[in-house]
Amino acid sequence: MANLAIDSIKERTFDAIVIGSGASGSWAAKEFTEKGLKTLLLERGRNVEHVKDYPTTNLYPYEFEHRLEMPYEDKQKNPIANRCYNYREDSKHFFVKDDEHPYIQVKDFDWIRGYQVGGKSLLWARQVQRWSDFDFEGPARDGFSVDWPIRYKDIAPWYSYVERFVGVSGNNDGIPELPDGEHLPAFPLNAVEDHFSKSVAKHYKNRHVISARCAHLSKPNPIHIEQGRVQCQNRVLCQRGCPFGGYYSANAVTIPWAQKTGNLTLRPHSVVHSILYDETKGKATGVKVIDANTKEEMEFFAKVIFVNASALNTNLILLNSVSNRFPQGLGNDNGLMGKYVAFHNYTATIGAEYDGLLQYRTDGRNPAGGGYIPRFRNVYRQETDFLRGWAAGFGAGRAEIRDTSGVGSALKDGMLNAKLGTWRVHSHMMAETIPKEDNFVSLDANQKDAWGIPLLRISIDYDENDRKMRQDYYEQMTEMYEKAGFTNIQTRDDNRRPGNDIHEMGGVRMGHDPKTSLLNKWHQLHACQNVFVTDGACMTSTSTQNPTLTYMAFTARAANYAMDEMKKGNL
Amino acid sequence: MMNRRAAVRTLLYIAGGTLVLPACFRESGKASIDLTNLSISEDNEQLLAELTETLIPATDTPGGKELLLHLFVLKMVDDCHTPEEQEQFTKGLSAFSDWSKQELGNEFVVADADSRTGLLGKIGESTDEDIKQFFSITKRRAIQGYLNSQYVMTNLVKYELVPGRYNGYAQV
Repeated sequence: MANLAIDSIKERTFDAIVIGSGASGSWAAKEFTEKGLKTLLLERGRNVEHVKDYPTTNLYPYEFEHRLEMPYEDKQKNPIANRCYNYREDSKHFFVKDDEHPYIQVKDFDWIRGYQVGGKSLLWARQVQRWSDFDFEGPARDGFSVDWPIRYKDIAPWYSYVERFVGVSGNNDGIPELPDGEHLPAFPLNAVEDHFSKSVAKHYKNRHVISARCAHLSKPNPIHIEQGRVQCQNRVLCQRGCPFGGYYSANAVTIPWAQKTGNLTLRPHSVVHSILYDETKGKATGVKVIDANTKEEMEFFAKVIFVNASALNTNLILLNSVSNRFPQGLGNDNGLMGKYVAFHNYTATIGAEYDGLLQYRTDGRNPAGGGYIPRFRNVYRQETDFLRGWAAGFGAGRAEIRDTSGVGSALKDGMLNAKLGTWRVHSHMMAETIPKEDNFVSLDANQKDAWGIPLLRISIDYDENDRKMRQDYYEQMTEMYEKAGFTNIQTRDDNRRPGNDIHEMGGVRMGHDPKTSLLNKWHQLHACQNVFVTDGACMTSTSTQNPTLTYMAFTARAANYAMDEMKKGNL
Repeated sequence: MMNRRAAVRTLLYIAGGTLVLPACFRESGKASIDLTNLSISEDNEQLLAELTETLIPATDTPGGKELLLHLFVLKMVDDCHTPEEQEQFTKGLSAFSDWSKQELGNEFVVADADSRTGLLGKIGESTDEDIKQFFSITKRRAIQGYLNSQYVMTNLVKYELVPGRYNGYAQV
């Protein structure tokens, strides 16, 4: 009996445990397994195997019962998921349904989640930009949050390391605030995007419209072929999962890579309840897991634990990891865990028309989506009455206009003989928000989910800085549009709720000082150094870049640091 | 036996083909597809079929009836519209049936194509909101069903699943 118990513990003991199998978690698993560590990768959702579990990937529009539209009943049942632009008939099986995983909205918050192996890396917008020191130095310069304990030089080699492996298409534009990278050829701007780019360059000193950088294989390198991927085929049906592996997802890239080493144990249906802490050893020893289906409780053990459950769930797990030593949650001596949560403000768009360049149109589809405007506001110095700034997406296209006004053969002719419309341009704002103590998540004292885990209370809102910045976006973009000769300019506040940007960040922020932050510069909990947080929860500030590339680079850096420390016997 | 709903769903997927619904699916007097929210008589289904055929007639290419657009309209109204719109659609369909009889002096389904097309041109003059709403939904969904049918997407306005290219400076 005793031997059996010892064997059982042995079987449940690994070198490293990673909680969460999305972009960042799968990167930790890849780094550990490649270097020989026996690694347990825990995922609360079901398994999704590359290609095999992409049921809609090769369907034509007419093969969808409702031609991709969500039925009324689904909209009524899942208003949160339905507000996500990417939740449609071809992708709905990769989203959490509202009633399956409730949470408490102290203030309106759309929490968009993907509970499956690969997480939201199947659904992401695939836009990848590096941070620069203009971003890392932001909080210190502008006096908010706390100083980032790292700078660009610390992360730059890891950006390169990640970019080479996942494949990033883009130009090296030579813009200090958006550092160059290890890029595959960019998807070029189209005629009107190019026109806008040139017009902006002519009229403004520090404003740029560049080809959007995206995690697609415009021209695969041998490493990508070795991963079993081929060139992006411009389908732009990415949310279904890509049979070509044309874009980076954990499912197509990092998880199979980790599996090939023979060192990975992937365990789906594993809801992490908490992290186990041993007071005598002064460190975490493992995790308590609840089987999602059987509700059976079990424990797994390891020397190192990476928490990559997605920003808010990472907060939840740590807050729920209570012990005598840590009554407020693991590593939460200062009571700041769950606070200073921030996100990206996506509430503004601006459209217009352009009558020129009618000799051109687009042919095929652009997976990068068009252009990207790096933040230019308050970069070199404070120049407005709001803090920080915004980046923006920009795209142009010509619609095929079908006359549907008639009936009978006139209608049929009108539908089948489309006329090419003039160019329409579109931009959306991606603005930094300032982390504040009163934007927070916490655990509900009474209500629990089906696995006995407290429900998360979310209390996050926009503020005056966000509204001022939106106004600035309207004004500046309108001016830039006018200079480019665009007409019929229409600004639009799309009233989306916080969370709908799907860039929630913070709550377990990094910093120099254990009194004012939770993680050190290596992503270790100050107070429990064998627990690392490298997903969105670690973010001290948000800047304007799409964050996933930075999470992946943070993860690779921290995982390699953890392995060095293990070798030295420090963990 | 094949599940009836699944079979009908398959028919709807391939609604671009030349399939005619097998009679065995049909319960006398009722609509030929399973509907959750709508209650549509066999007669009104036929009326809707002729209406979509009038909207999008067969020429040297298939029209509404052959592409089963009336079933697509019913499926979408049944699943994707609000209860209020569904009620308006059902009421409007019956009202349209009566109104067209008055206007044509005959059943819509037996009237000649020109009279039917002419009648649809007069919908705007109708003061009946239900008829207008019914017609607007039917037309919009018929157009959607047509442009998204297998026939049109593979023969007339081709849909590319795998373009494999992007050119931002294509000559018009």
